[in-house]
Amino acid sequence: MANEGSRSDLSAPDASHHAEPESPDRRQFLDTASRTAMVAGVVGGYGGFALIAGKYLYPATTGDVMWQFVSEVEGIKVGESIRYRGPSGEMINITRMRREGTADDFIALSSTCPHLGCQVRWEGQNDRFFCPCHNGEFDPSGIGIGGPPGDAGQSLPRYELRVERGLLHIAVPPPRFASAEDRSGIVTADEGIVGPGHDPCLGCESDRPGYHGGEELV
Amino acid sequence: MSVASWFGDRLPISGRQFQELTNEPVPYHLKRWWFALGGTPAYLFIVQIITGILLAFYYESSPSTAYQSVEHITTSVSFGWYIRSVHKWAATLMIVAVILHQMRVFFTGAYRNPREINWVVGMCLLFCTLMTGFTGYSLVYEQLSFWGATVGANISDTIPFVGGFLKRMMLAGDAYNQSTLSRFFVLHAAILPVTIVFLIATHIAVIRMQGVTEFQFKDEDEGTARTFNFFPDHLYTELIIGLVLMVVLSALATILPATLGPEANPLQTPEVIKPEWFFYVAFRWLKLFTGTAAVLSMGFIVFVMFAWPWIDNWIRKHTRFQEASVWIGILGVVTIIGLTLWEAFARH
Amino acid sequence: MTLETKRIVIATLGGLFLLSLVLVQWMETARKAEEAGIRAPHVSVPASSRECVECHAEENPGIVTHWEGSTHAEKGVGCVECHQAEIEEADSYLHHGAQIATVVTPRDCARCHDHEANEFALSHHSSAGNILASLDNFLAETVEGSRIDFNPHSPTPGKAVDMVNGMASAQSGCLQCHGAKVALESTDGGLITVDDLAPDTDGRPTNLDAFAKIMRDDKGKPIIFAGTWPNTGIGRLNLDGTRGSCAACHSRHDFSPRRARQPENCGKCHLGPDHPQKEIYEESKHGIAFRDLKDDMNLDSEEWILGIDYAAAPTCATCHMSGNIRNGGRVTHDPGERISWTNRPPVSRVMDTDINHAIVTETDPELRRPLIHDTANQKRDRMKDVCSHCHTDSYVNSFYDQYDNLVILYNEKFAKPGLAIMGALQANGLSTSTQFDEEIEWTWFYLWHHEGRRARHGASMMAPDYTHWHGMYEVAERFYMELVPQAREIVQHGRDTGMRAQAAAVEQVIDEILQRPEHIWFEEGAEEAAARIREEMERRYGGAQQN
Repeated sequence: MANEGSRSDLSAPDASHHAEPESPDRRQFLDTASRTAMVAGVVGGYGGFALIAGKYLYPATTGDVMWQFVSEVEGIKVGESIRYRGPSGEMINITRMRREGTADDFIALSSTCPHLGCQVRWEGQNDRFFCPCHNGEFDPSGIGIGGPPGDAGQSLPRYELRVERGLLHIAVPPPRFASAEDRSGIVTADEGIVGPGHDPCLGCESDRPGYHGGEELV
Repeated sequence: MSVASWFGDRLPISGRQFQELTNEPVPYHLKRWWFALGGTPAYLFIVQIITGILLAFYYESSPSTAYQSVEHITTSVSFGWYIRSVHKWAATLMIVAVILHQMRVFFTGAYRNPREINWVVGMCLLFCTLMTGFTGYSLVYEQLSFWGATVGANISDTIPFVGGFLKRMMLAGDAYNQSTLSRFFVLHAAILPVTIVFLIATHIAVIRMQGVTEFQFKDEDEGTARTFNFFPDHLYTELIIGLVLMVVLSALATILPATLGPEANPLQTPEVIKPEWFFYVAFRWLKLFTGTAAVLSMGFIVFVMFAWPWIDNWIRKHTRFQEASVWIGILGVVTIIGLTLWEAFARH
Repeated sequence: MTLETKRIVIATLGGLFLLSLVLVQWMETARKAEEAGIRAPHVSVPASSRECVECHAEENPGIVTHWEGSTHAEKGVGCVECHQAEIEEADSYLHHGAQIATVVTPRDCARCHDHEANEFALSHHSSAGNILASLDNFLAETVEGSRIDFNPHSPTPGKAVDMVNGMASAQSGCLQCHGAKVALESTDGGLITVDDLAPDTDGRPTNLDAFAKIMRDDKGKPIIFAGTWPNTGIGRLNLDGTRGSCAACHSRHDFSPRRARQPENCGKCHLGPDHPQKEIYEESKHGIAFRDLKDDMNLDSEEWILGIDYAAAPTCATCHMSGNIRNGGRVTHDPGERISWTNRPPVSRVMDTDINHAIVTETDPELRRPLIHDTANQKRDRMKDVCSHCHTDSYVNSFYDQYDNLVILYNEKFAKPGLAIMGALQANGLSTSTQFDEEIEWTWFYLWHHEGRRARHGASMMAPDYTHWHGMYEVAERFYMELVPQAREIVQHGRDTGMRAQAAAVEQVIDEILQRPEHIWFEEGAEEAAARIREEMERRYGGAQQN
């Protein structure tokens, strides 16, 4: 039935001017039913799309880890700590506490301070992790015991370790995709004092392509 | 106090005025679906903005990681393949819809006095859309992305006077370099969309100000209503179009998803460099002429397209060919289709 | 279209849209499931090796691609981890900022794989380089070539040839499988090997004079003598004192265990007229089964335990090295652990070994017993553990009876007699002390080194054609038609040239052998045996038959 609105009667709903053989109740029911169906269809369709967009955006926490070789067990002395950069760029301190040669000798903790993101370092002589920015302190198992992280009850996140036939492996999350900037492995560059949230390796001389500690490029 | 009166106390517009403003009377001929072609590209533009924003969450515009980020989206991210494919197909459909809309406007003479302004705005929208398509494809950083951009920039170089400047602005240098991709990304994701939004707003504002012409077709009876309501009637029409497009896009995304060619290799030119399909006509035209003549002739044609309302007016005033525009239009369409197909099937 | 119709259309389209999204979700689930299986493992380039990978990906992309397919790459073990070398090591040099050595030895692999390296070091594989002191060595270096370079006798158009390298046959032939003694060029024109460097237990040279003489190029890289590198022989004598090359079986740079499990891998060296293990395996039912059921062999699995991961067919690795359910899945890198006869020497010997893994040579049973650390039967039982995965005990034991019988037949009928004849000729001065300068020496060599081994290997791995036609048949022909007549000729020649007593002594040895029951047919005919065979044939097949 054609809709009439020739006088641009804007406020009225689609009132019909024809005589209706149907009962007003049936008319009303069909009207409501069609409106409801329409809203349901539109909401269902676009709502579904919104759900898909939501799933797309929500970062996938697969819990996937990959095991990476770090070093021979004998390459790390008791009381020594090495710095390891994971494939996704995370900085990890791996400290050896005992000399048994099992995975329990070691502890792998993120070296990023939970306070404001500076890099912490292991102080063997004080048996603690120390953050130079605001004097944060962590005990050997990573629990904050002093400074702002201690006050806030924060601790350093832990990474799982495994020793297999004298070789130390660490479980790290896989990176999103292989990239030319992938530089995982033991970090040997000397960092120096860093500011809040500063990646100690930014601006390092050794980042510059072609730099080889003074050696001539062959 | 109701919500309406809360707003009413603060905003200087009454309910009635608001209704009048938005519920415009829509001329009856728009009940014919052929006339809904203006809303179609607008709707697809919104789809592009939404899917584009979603893609931008994962896309990285640095040459060393661009391709890998697109690969990541296509193969790893949940529904990444779907969002990307919808974005790709909506781009194609939007360009098709824009061209069909323009053809409708052309063949119904809706560019004539007083609507010359909107014709020019529409032409600007056409070129912005084509540029968005071009820059978008460059972001994937496949072989054809890189080489297509390089060739495109070199073609702009041949434009007299401004060519070199344009090329250097496009590439951020004399050749494709580290900054080029970022430039394309900003163009594609910021500058062009914002420009298109302003142009669309202008386009619609001008329509509202001038009103839509009332047509009467031969098969309509005299005395039938001339207009109908925007709400809900025309809105329903637009919703139907929107939903049909979503179903078509989903189907295309699932059956013919966006793929990934080899990564761009600046050291290796592929055998065949072709632009996207919507540039085939221009590409083929340029190959029919040499150097400056090619670019100048193309520039001339573009000028003619922009100035068509005035040219058409002159023809109708000073010659006896009142329907000339229709015939010229048919010739134009056939030529465009012909050149596009020629380029599509040429294998070299 | 009425408004109501439009609403219905919208509702329907909305439903259709939702349906299409359900399809999208279904596709996503299917894609994820498929990707989980297919996705290649991530390659971790450790920071220290990043530059190596970048440059060599351009220069030698195959090396990098191979490495990327390896487990090393997955775990973050890169170039530097294996190639790193101390500055004191003989072949180390500075290369783009890294102190490395080109040749990776078992010492380098042992940093992480020490268990395998130790097992390998005790095995016969690692002593394959000992060929340098053997008959084969003489053959390659002197008979086929020359121990000293010699002048060419006419020009080679297009190539300037100053001297002929007489060691080329050894270097490109024997030593490529057995392993060369890696040598560096010396500034005094000679060569520096492990013997000169006298490395300590850490592989560092103690003889610093020799170290100082190492010739280096203008970038400080030691020049390895071309005759000894490239060489991935399994018994290579490395500059750091270790023996062997793990890459011989675990091809670099992907070090694929999958490849090492397949017979073609061993077949690089274990083939040919003198030890055709590869051909024998291919003839045998084991090889036939493998070829057909290769897809069921689960070659890519991480652990490859017979009985758990696969049971379709055995390969070389299955029997000789890999783990199985009866030995706790333990792989051994010493194949000698499961071998009870050594068929390498002219006369096969029982593999009773002492604490140093050397065969006990003591003949007196009483004196033997305390010396034996691991008996041949213990070795055989380890091998039987493998056999019993597919064969019952009586089957296996009877097979070993067949095998023992063939070896002993060969030993007693041909090998010991042959050895006795050759020994008698030597002892009585009727043959020169130089090997291979007389025809009979070649004859004897063929008999035990080629045909005799083929017969024994064929029996050991169930290849009847090799046991018989390529084996004992040819041994018998060689013995009767060549060795005996040639020995008799030498005896006659000796008699003619005035060495009567010596000739008589040798003749006595020959005659005594040929009088034995198993040889008597040769002298006195075997008409009776032939007649019996003819009767049997007629009885079985009847009528006038051709024989």
